[in-house]
Amino acid sequence: MDGPVIRAVGLTALLAVAPVAAAAHQLVVFASVDCQAVTVEAKFSNGKPAQQGEVRVLDGENALQTTLQLSSDGTALVPLASVDYATGLVIEVDTGGHDNYWIVTPEDIARKCGR
Amino acid sequence: MKRRILSAALAGSVAATPALAHYGMIIPNDPMISQEDGRTVSLTMSFSHPFEMDGMMLDRPEAFTVTHDGSTTDLLGDLQDATVMDDQGYTLDFALERPGTYVFAMEPKPYWEPAEDAFIIHYTKTYVTAYGDDEGWDAELGLKTEIVPLSKPFGLWERNVFQGIVKMDGEAVPYAEVEVEFLNDGTNATVPDELMITQTVKADANGVFTYAAPSYGWWGFAALNTADYTLPQDGEDKAVELGAVIWVHFEEWTGQ
Repeated sequence: MDGPVIRAVGLTALLAVAPVAAAAHQLVVFASVDCQAVTVEAKFSNGKPAQQGEVRVLDGENALQTTLQLSSDGTALVPLASVDYATGLVIEVDTGGHDNYWIVTPEDIARKCGR
Repeated sequence: MKRRILSAALAGSVAATPALAHYGMIIPNDPMISQEDGRTVSLTMSFSHPFEMDGMMLDRPEAFTVTHDGSTTDLLGDLQDATVMDDQGYTLDFALERPGTYVFAMEPKPYWEPAEDAFIIHYTKTYVTAYGDDEGWDAELGLKTEIVPLSKPFGLWERNVFQGIVKMDGEAVPYAEVEVEFLNDGTNATVPDELMITQTVKADANGVFTYAAPSYGWWGFAALNTADYTLPQDGEDKAVELGAVIWVHFEEWTGQ
């Protein structure tokens, strides 16, 4: 199996485990990766950061890796060393009233790590 | 009989010089990129008659930029030559690194149009939103002339209205004339009269215009004004038509 096929399979699996976001459109979740850590950002559609909320980090096979809390500026930092990211990561944020997710694909991580 | 011959002659002369509107065009593969769509947007740039799907030569533009979160980046060197509607155009794959609205803008080189005895410069914009975040949808770029959206320039249903303010040098243009044309790409839309290829609306005293699109697809809005300067052509000073162009996508209504 070559690289692109592996990535395609990985994204398909990640999409399968990702929660349905249709009922959570007012919370915008994004995560960027710099090869050392995943920075999670959560804000509402009016631009204001979500000041509290639970962040759940799952791998591409839906196994919970870690749970942490949003900081008051709507961000959270997930060191890559603290999770198994080989199959990608699904970052779920739940503020209580709203929830949404962002998928970090293996390709996202590889691109930022120069691979 | 004489009258019929005269009518046919007139019809022939109209057919030889159809009153088609020129449009600068920036058309993305999707105006609303979700994370499931990938991490890039693919853009196609042309200078065309969009209803007739008739291309014209688009020389490499003077400027091509993207504005996101208040920061503008020069992308001119990243444009790839392409054939669009059988003529010279460009394509660009652009990586969307963060959520928000990305405004792509093109300033073409002056296009000499002998039939109008004038140059044409269409300052062209298209707004693309990434990853469910529409912040920046009403961004004004400060172009020589531009249409500043009052409706989100994406995420509109067919038959919604689109509203914008026509501006020149940062000031609203009262009663500006705005031409509206459909990108007739794969839909085979026809018109009962050539007049309807390009529709025209006027802005109000505050430069605000309104248009309701009858169907989903890409619709181009071009506010045309004459520049306060001329350019030389064949030893003479010629007028310059400045166009403020924005492309807006209307979505197909999914209800019954």
